[in-house]
Amino acid sequence: MSEFVRKNICDGVAFGSIRDDRFKIGRISATLIVPLSRNTAAANALLSCVLTRSCKKYPDFTALSRKLDSLYGAALYPSVRQTGDYQALTITATGIDDQYALDGNSVSSELAELLCSILFEPNVTDLRFDEEDVEQERRQLIENIDAEYSEKRLYAVKRCIEVMCRDEVFSVGRYGSRQDVEKLTNENIYDAWQTLLKEARVELTMLGNTDPQNAYEGFAGYFGGLPRTVRTVPHIDVHPKEVKRVAETEEVSQSKLVMGFRSARPATDAQALENSLMSAILGATPTSKLFLNVREKKSLCYYCVSRVDNDKGIMLIDSGVETENIEKAEQAIMEQVNSLKNGNITDSELEDAKLAMKNSVMSSLDNLAAMQSFYLTRLMRNDPLSPLEAFKLIDGITKNRIVELAQQIEPDTVYSLVGN
Amino acid sequence: MEFTKIENKRVNEEYYRLEHSSGLTVIVYPKKGFNSVYASIGTKFGSIYSRFTNNGREICVPDGTAHYLEHKLFESEDGDAFSKYAKTGASANAYTSFDMTCYLFSCTDKFRESLEILIDLIQTPYFTKETVAKEQGIIAQEIKMYDDSPDWRVMMNLFKGLYHHHPINIDIAGSVESIAEITPEILYECYNSYYNLHNMVMTVVGGVDPQEVRSIVDEKIRPSEKIDTQVLFPEEPYKVVRSYTEQVLPVAVPMFELGFKEDSGSRYATSRELIATSILMNAFVGESSELYRRLLDAKLVNAAFGHEYLEGLGYRSLIISGESRNPKAAAEMIDEAVRKLHKNGISEAEFENARKVVYGKMVAGFDYKSSLASELMNGEFTGRKLFDGIEAVADITLKDINERLEVQLDADNCCLSVVKGM
Repeated sequence: MSEFVRKNICDGVAFGSIRDDRFKIGRISATLIVPLSRNTAAANALLSCVLTRSCKKYPDFTALSRKLDSLYGAALYPSVRQTGDYQALTITATGIDDQYALDGNSVSSELAELLCSILFEPNVTDLRFDEEDVEQERRQLIENIDAEYSEKRLYAVKRCIEVMCRDEVFSVGRYGSRQDVEKLTNENIYDAWQTLLKEARVELTMLGNTDPQNAYEGFAGYFGGLPRTVRTVPHIDVHPKEVKRVAETEEVSQSKLVMGFRSARPATDAQALENSLMSAILGATPTSKLFLNVREKKSLCYYCVSRVDNDKGIMLIDSGVETENIEKAEQAIMEQVNSLKNGNITDSELEDAKLAMKNSVMSSLDNLAAMQSFYLTRLMRNDPLSPLEAFKLIDGITKNRIVELAQQIEPDTVYSLVGN
Repeated sequence: MEFTKIENKRVNEEYYRLEHSSGLTVIVYPKKGFNSVYASIGTKFGSIYSRFTNNGREICVPDGTAHYLEHKLFESEDGDAFSKYAKTGASANAYTSFDMTCYLFSCTDKFRESLEILIDLIQTPYFTKETVAKEQGIIAQEIKMYDDSPDWRVMMNLFKGLYHHHPINIDIAGSVESIAEITPEILYECYNSYYNLHNMVMTVVGGVDPQEVRSIVDEKIRPSEKIDTQVLFPEEPYKVVRSYTEQVLPVAVPMFELGFKEDSGSRYATSRELIATSILMNAFVGESSELYRRLLDAKLVNAAFGHEYLEGLGYRSLIISGESRNPKAAAEMIDEAVRKLHKNGISEAEFENARKVVYGKMVAGFDYKSSLASELMNGEFTGRKLFDGIEAVADITLKDINERLEVQLDADNCCLSVVKGM
């Protein structure tokens, strides 16, 4: 495989590629990144669904699906993420490598063209998206938002974040709210499209066994002429004055406990790795403090996991427990957090976590989706590292550095979803 | 014995298979240029193996025993396997399904040490009263987590609605009550019956050399004496138990699974049958199908819509699932389309279209180590060969698909399972 090669197309638009002959599928994506805002989050999210439903050339859902079928079941889909105080909309196209196409068609160049059409030649007439497309996708997005309530582990984490960050734009969520989506007009979606093309930071990626030059030129042709100004937002640090406690009841047989903390918000990619290692020692592996003590020693839960959001500067620990054990679990978790803060880290805890993290970094090179995610995550930070650089850097992280980072953890919110 | 090379020119892929003298079947699938190796050992023993014979002696075990055994095998007298893997950096896991239990790891360094840990893990059972008791709390929480999972409930309720007696209608992890009956003796009984190398398969996929795997197996594995085990299933009628089942759970959008029960005979489906079914279902309810479009236009489903084939010893059902504000109306529309399908069959154009989709999915499958590993293992347990699928796609005809349809999607033998909100 080649290195990740990143070229600028124009202001705020870059094209990154890896040529790799190990895979039978290729992966092309466009990620549009804008500051998260209550006013635009829902419109952007709905736009990404409407864009992948049809375009000028394939003006209805079934026509576009048939086209994808004819490209050997190629996939085209939107995904919306929150990355710190930004909203990232990704449209991904995947399809088999050209050499496996039975009719000699070039699947990769058709997919690259299709992705350009999706972004620049949508199904718009007189400044309006197709009404039926908008209504269909609005209904589905609302059902999607409603469905977040169904899986209680995810729902509890979402509620904890809403409580914890209620005065911050972060609590808007990746899709905005159901009410926001209901209120959207066709004009809002059209405006969102125009604004995104001019103001979003755009990261294009092409991974697989195809020469990326044609796709690069295709995208450059479309983006090249656009007047662009990329918008950014400053980050605001938050230090909780007191711990917020919210308990909500629900008809569930297992209660959920989610503890939200403020943690370091690393400026560079290297610092983000250090912070992730800190979280790995605490609760992200089967030999972590939380797994060994809260699960294995006390048999309180099946899962008890910590993770840091380096772009936001928060850490969440979530667990599923018996209602009568919620307090016990909270205590047991805090004991482990404090133990980490006090520097109770054995050499073997540090080394085990490093090995697990190195394994995860190197494994990501064997999977195109993981590679895409690896690079996109890093591009949001200063001084992004390659997997090999990350691998080498992990070895040098010291126990002192982990303790320094652990000491920046501040409890902010304890949320529980209590079963009856 | 030496490795046999098995290759396929259509997709330029190859792997190596060995029936090791110990009884273990070893499959190595080298992936050139890959950093990581995905290794697994599985036994043909899952949750539905609750009644069986061992050299003629009949044994019955509590529901959830196979899964409990999976948890406990991680522990041995000198500590648990997770802490051993931690020293190699491997990421380890295990799972129990209806028809197998599998132990696995993925590593980018220290492959030999990691594989030794995996081999030790399955060869050194250590169950005491205390260690078995300790797991009750953890597994009870796992069971409760699934009790709250609407995806899981809607599926299990469907199986209960489809199957009268076959143990596919029982949760893999059992219940809080059934696992309370599990003792070290029961675990040893199952271990001695099914963790016999003649009943097990090792698959290793990734940046690895077959001879290296061979040398580790030669060195570490202790041969098993072949024993005769037979799983026993009660007689299962063709007809479903009921046509509708529902459960109320805190969900905002109801979920449904519509299952069509088939005659399952006494053997596994062949690769060709699976491919024919897959093409049939892609044509009938795939993304570009007329039915999916009509369901969308009627606002009866959303993008969380799909289909799968549930298939194993003694059970075969086609399942169409989704989220819907009105599951009954969605099911009615599907029912009507099924009846029409039986009258008209699928068209040549739909067939060619769906065939391309299925071909593309199969080609893509070769990129994923974990899915290759489980396909290979599953193949050993069911008598299906990995490359038979891709070959079947190439020469299957519309006639095959329409013949398959004759014994599938019986509109008078289906069950709708719904999970809806309070």
